[in-house]
Amino acid sequence: MAELLRAEHLTKRFKGLTANDDVEFNILAGEVRCVIGPNGAGKTTFISMISGHLQPSSGRIWFRGEDITRMPVVERARLGIARKFQTPSVFNRLTVYENVELAVLGTGRPSHRREARVREVLELVRLSEQSNRPTVMLSHGQRQWLEVGLLIGNDAELMLLDEPTAGMTAEETHSTGELVRSLARDLSLSAIIIEHDINFIRNLEAPITVLHLGRVLAHGNYDEIARNELVRDSYLGH
Amino acid sequence: MTEANRTRVLPGLPPQVRRVREPVVAIGVFAILALLPLLFSGYVIYILPQYMLFGVLAMSLALLWGFCGMLSFGQAGFFALGAYTMGLCVQHAGAVGVNAAYLALVISMAAGTVIASAVGYFLFSAGVRDSYFVIVTLALSIIAEQIAVGQSQITGGWNGMFIPRMELSLWRWKFPLDSDASIYYVIVVFVAATYFFLRWISRAKFGKVLAGIRENEDRVLSLGFKVPLYKTATFAISAGLACMAGALYGTHAAFVAPSLAGVLFSTEVVVWVAIAGRSSLLAALLGGIVVSSISNALSAITPQYWQLVLGVLFVLVVAFFRGGIAGAVHRFAAHREG
Amino acid sequence: MGHGAMLTLGAYLMWATTKMGVPFVLAALISALGVGLVGLLLEHIVIRHFYGEPLETLLLTWGFFLITTELIKIVFGTDLREVVNPLPGSFELGTVRFPVYRSLVALFAVVLIVAAALVFYKTRIGIRIRALMQNAEVASLLGLNIQLTYKFVFVTGSFMAGLAGALISPMLSVDPYIGNIFLVRSFFAVTVGGVGQILGGTLAGSFLVGGMETVFALVSSQVVAQTIVFALAIVILRFRPQGVVTSR
Repeated sequence: MAELLRAEHLTKRFKGLTANDDVEFNILAGEVRCVIGPNGAGKTTFISMISGHLQPSSGRIWFRGEDITRMPVVERARLGIARKFQTPSVFNRLTVYENVELAVLGTGRPSHRREARVREVLELVRLSEQSNRPTVMLSHGQRQWLEVGLLIGNDAELMLLDEPTAGMTAEETHSTGELVRSLARDLSLSAIIIEHDINFIRNLEAPITVLHLGRVLAHGNYDEIARNELVRDSYLGH
Repeated sequence: MTEANRTRVLPGLPPQVRRVREPVVAIGVFAILALLPLLFSGYVIYILPQYMLFGVLAMSLALLWGFCGMLSFGQAGFFALGAYTMGLCVQHAGAVGVNAAYLALVISMAAGTVIASAVGYFLFSAGVRDSYFVIVTLALSIIAEQIAVGQSQITGGWNGMFIPRMELSLWRWKFPLDSDASIYYVIVVFVAATYFFLRWISRAKFGKVLAGIRENEDRVLSLGFKVPLYKTATFAISAGLACMAGALYGTHAAFVAPSLAGVLFSTEVVVWVAIAGRSSLLAALLGGIVVSSISNALSAITPQYWQLVLGVLFVLVVAFFRGGIAGAVHRFAAHREG
Repeated sequence: MGHGAMLTLGAYLMWATTKMGVPFVLAALISALGVGLVGLLLEHIVIRHFYGEPLETLLLTWGFFLITTELIKIVFGTDLREVVNPLPGSFELGTVRFPVYRSLVALFAVVLIVAAALVFYKTRIGIRIRALMQNAEVASLLGLNIQLTYKFVFVTGSFMAGLAGALISPMLSVDPYIGNIFLVRSFFAVTVGGVGQILGGTLAGSFLVGGMETVFALVSSQVVAQTIVFALAIVILRFRPQGVVTSR
């Protein structure tokens, strides 16, 4: 599998605060990775630098071998880097169908193929039944899925998911895990997921990176991380 | 067409709005407008085209505000620019071989589009906030009015400028539009064409992206759309249309004064559109026509109280009825059906 | 957007009170208080329901401007009004003549700005206001009475606008629309100076906007000067949206 994204010496300093300190990270095409850590560890900052919403103080980021460190959000989106925010960022007064339609419109597909693609995406995120409903009427979990649908519809290659299961029921959380795994497996979509839900992380069976105070504390699979004393201390210390 | 698309009115309106078939109503409205000169004559037929052009002005604001979410207090500036352009072109008609009025229409549209594109792109490419854009358009109105007053050797200053009536022409054939009915029809055609043009772009990909920008600009950016370009294009289109409407107004009213450019008139346009319903082109058009005609009718009798009523209505609409009258109508219609 | 109307209202109240024979300073105070009261009513009845919705607030205050202007026209008529200058004449400083009244008002304005800055940075209410600006949620959790603080800010702002109108009134003919131009100018002064920078920003912004206009007016007409200043302000803000003076 080809390397999709690489980040080296990624550092972000705000006035008096180092949010990310010399972070190294890479992910392959079709790979799912988890990023965890106590609050304030710098997870969202890290994601923001990859999506382009924040500029790093130092360090470089490559996407498919191309240096994207200074590239603006719009262009990274066109390359296939898509971000799902902590609070679902969708189009509230449009219908579910129109939401995904906009995402598909952004891909430059010819008009006769758009509708089929929208239907396909709606099917993937299990929102076909709600296609005519305005988004405000969806449940919180459904809104999260809709946002993932926007990413898929926009032909994302790397999805940055910031706490996708926050506020979801156990069943929805399980479905989300299934969805992410099938997307990676069948469509070769990569995903970097920030999460707190232990069960979700364990069922994902993906490599985990632990951040603490802006630094990478540990890499490993679930069992390794669970046994890691440093990791346990970092959570307990907060 | 699938179920999802069939009864859609405008992107971005809640589903209950979709049931009302706006284009059918619009055609009805234009049909009535077209028939009026055959039934009536006199002052109404004389003055109605001016109100229709105000309606176009209102539609230009609806495009910018209702569809894209950008409020502007500067539409009147473009309207006046068009009128003054028409005046200047027709004044120097001898110098140019072509029909001066046609030239004026082209130049005014170009001027409006270019100015709006320049200012718009300058601001939007820096990600300027919407509320700041509003103040800038306010400043533009003031500037436009000041220029109209200040450059009196060109514009006639406070005294205004007289503008001869235009004529249609095709090579050697000339048709002066001196009669009320003749220019009436020319303007109806223009207004209808503008309406259907705007409706077309609002339902195409462009319009959908605008709706997205209105609802969640950041998300649209994250989907890979170059938002500043879309905003600039919207501003340019709305300015170009306002200019053309102004040019026609100039030749119809035969007179233009600096107050046409100023803040007061600009805010009137906002009031029309707010009360009528900014998300509906037809509502904005009718709002422009109806409110301005009522204002005109009452201005002789009791201008202050009418303006006061308008002001109060405006505040009520903003506070309670975001969708304006159109929104209330649609909610009522949806209630009846569902 | 309603502050232009408040300035106009202040000017008219000034005219009305001085016409009734009230001495100048007292009249100015009464006018300013009157406008402050209007501001209180406006805030309580309308504005306070719309905090967090800037565009609605903008439109509502604009609606307030429309209504107030019409009421002024109904009550006072549309003829130009004149307020007598209490300190006519001028004095010389070197080769330049300074009108007495204008100089005094300018001085007073600076004093007022410094006083406002002191309140903002050194008093308890000032800290509360700054806390509110930075993080309303946390501020309320810490026991800050949000409603009251917003009211205080809005009423003080209205009072000052009214005071400005009262003090400006002898310097120009009073008509229902004089507030407009000051509204746009002050908006640019605030944003160019730096929103939230009460002392440095307001001073810098006002001097820049007002000063540039005057300088340009020396070499061209008032109209051209104003246009150039607005254009410059737009350009400055585009490149430096946080204003000229920012917190360290």
